[in-house]
Amino acid sequence: MKSREQEYREIFMAEALEYYDAMSRHISELEKAPTDEPALNELFRLMHNLKSNARAMGYNQIGEVAHHMETIFGLIRSKERIFTGSLVPVLFTGVDTLGNMIRAVGDEQETETVDGVEELLNNLDRLVKGEEPVLPDAAAVDDDANRKLELSDLVYIQIKKLDHLLNLVGELIIDRDRILTLSQEIGSPALQATAAHLFRISDELQYSVMDARLVNVGSLFNKFPRVVRDVATAEQKEVELTLVGQDIQIDRNILQIITDSLLHLVRNAIGHGIEQPTERLKAGKPAVGQLTMSAQTERDDVLIHVADDGRGINIASVRRKAVERGLVSKEVAASLDDAAVRAYLFEPGFSMAQQVTEISGRGVGLDVVKLAIDSLGGQLRVDSTLGQGTTFTLVLPTSIAVKGALLFELDERSYAIPLMHTDSVVSLWPEQLHIVGGTLLADLQEERVPVVSLRRLLHNGDGPLVPVQRADVVGRQDIIVVNYNNRKLGLIVDRFLRQQAIVIKPMSKPLDTIDLFGGVTLLGSGQVCLVLDVPALTRLFLAKRP
Amino acid sequence: MKNRILIVDDSFYMRTMLKNMLTDAGYEVVGEAANGQQALELALQTTPDLITLDVILPDNTGLDVLKGIRQEQPDVKVVMCSAVGQEVIVNEALESGATAYIVKPFSEEKVLEIVGGALQGTDSTEA
Repeated sequence: MKSREQEYREIFMAEALEYYDAMSRHISELEKAPTDEPALNELFRLMHNLKSNARAMGYNQIGEVAHHMETIFGLIRSKERIFTGSLVPVLFTGVDTLGNMIRAVGDEQETETVDGVEELLNNLDRLVKGEEPVLPDAAAVDDDANRKLELSDLVYIQIKKLDHLLNLVGELIIDRDRILTLSQEIGSPALQATAAHLFRISDELQYSVMDARLVNVGSLFNKFPRVVRDVATAEQKEVELTLVGQDIQIDRNILQIITDSLLHLVRNAIGHGIEQPTERLKAGKPAVGQLTMSAQTERDDVLIHVADDGRGINIASVRRKAVERGLVSKEVAASLDDAAVRAYLFEPGFSMAQQVTEISGRGVGLDVVKLAIDSLGGQLRVDSTLGQGTTFTLVLPTSIAVKGALLFELDERSYAIPLMHTDSVVSLWPEQLHIVGGTLLADLQEERVPVVSLRRLLHNGDGPLVPVQRADVVGRQDIIVVNYNNRKLGLIVDRFLRQQAIVIKPMSKPLDTIDLFGGVTLLGSGQVCLVLDVPALTRLFLAKRP
Repeated sequence: MKNRILIVDDSFYMRTMLKNMLTDAGYEVVGEAANGQQALELALQTTPDLITLDVILPDNTGLDVLKGIRQEQPDVKVVMCSAVGQEVIVNEALESGATAYIVKPFSEEKVLEIVGGALQGTDSTEA
């Protein structure tokens, strides 16, 4: 963990070097056009900021030089001095000296070690007073022509290069785990020590690469004030947007993938959620609707909320629509709880728009949002209170590289399920399981959860599942309860193995069309392990349940 | 209810420092603007209780921003952040409706004292 002092110092340095680059550019512009007002304004502002920041950091000498430079650029701006004659070399020297002092700070040296600061300050003083500066002789000026070029400490890098790096690290981790397992099998202490070292280094390498890819959520959030204003205007609504947690960090590609989803949710919130001002006043609410976008971290996940204080979701009409669309029978619909009913909002083409407006209801439904979040291994949740508002929550991994997973065994093969989708792990005896309509049910924490043998589900073929008989359930059942779209499902497996961080590689062609598996991972033993895709499994179960 | 503050400064360093100071003291920083245009937009969108406003900004001066904000939001408290030697601007700002001002470089105590004072309506400036 960085100390705040260190953080401030890093920010100061990065910004000061940026300022220095900009100053060098602007002063060269000024040499070509000595009265160029934008260049003068910028030089004045940059000197001013450098002065303030340097003084706050206690770098008083930088502050002092920048202060004098600021004064002179102020005088040039107000036409009391002209950027010409002996003033020009002094100001160029000033910018160079500032650069040297900033770099000295970066190298943890005293700014006093920089040459010529005293002479410079004296000359700047003379210029402020309107006196002639004392310039060094020509031999010394020659130094300038030989000066070294300095490069910025900041590097802009294409994301695809970081993608490549991340992929390589992923492969390295897999080999590392394999070497670690081998070293234990072989039992050589020297090899084990080296493998342990390799483990630590590659771990650190992995986190460094992941860290390099992190950006602030704010870089996306800050684009929304404009969006909200435009959408609200088009919908003739009054909306106040509050942004929270802009400094939460997340992988840049994840942010890229959720961009459209957030746009969609925000448009929905304004289009369907928040009412017209007159309607709000009638309901006893302030005319201006509140929209909040917030980000927070929770363990390894990033939670993003999009919350409005609008009319909320009418459960009765969602239930009716689900029946109309033939997604569920009337009887079953009546027995579903609110969360299960709201889950139908994420079904393809399920739009609740009463009327098609310009902004919302153009056919793209929440199912598209759901798909995008699923593709990241994330979760989309919705909470709503009728008349009070709706909150969508995106649960996202911080990084796409490593995921926590639960490993289990089925028919002597290892499989993994991402922890993001696992709710709990339980072992139940046959008497703790009920059979209703050919489906197994377990009572877990006052909730009735359907349970299915994963073997039956995977090996069933195309038709519906054969109804479960009491005689099928023998002995202790190890069950992984998974959670997707507010629906829980228990999967009976042969044996729980362990929890482990895994690197998921996507399936290569032609296997990538099998959507039951989200990818593969290699275990330390060298065994290939399939990663189950919980959304696809849940859909398969719903389609095949007897 | 936490008091909500908008920070306007073109230096990321200054914004970070102010944000840390204010957040540590229990205020909610609702936004950060790096120029006048952003400042005016965020002031309208976030409706803060108080705005810390840097005197020198890239696109327009802090004074113009102050006047723009005053037209739309007469009640918001505005604390100007200036440096030594800008007394003329500070005076004009106070006449144009700034609540108080802080002189850079500032200490944490000073910032909290002036912001706290401005929010309570007591006229405490760094005189």
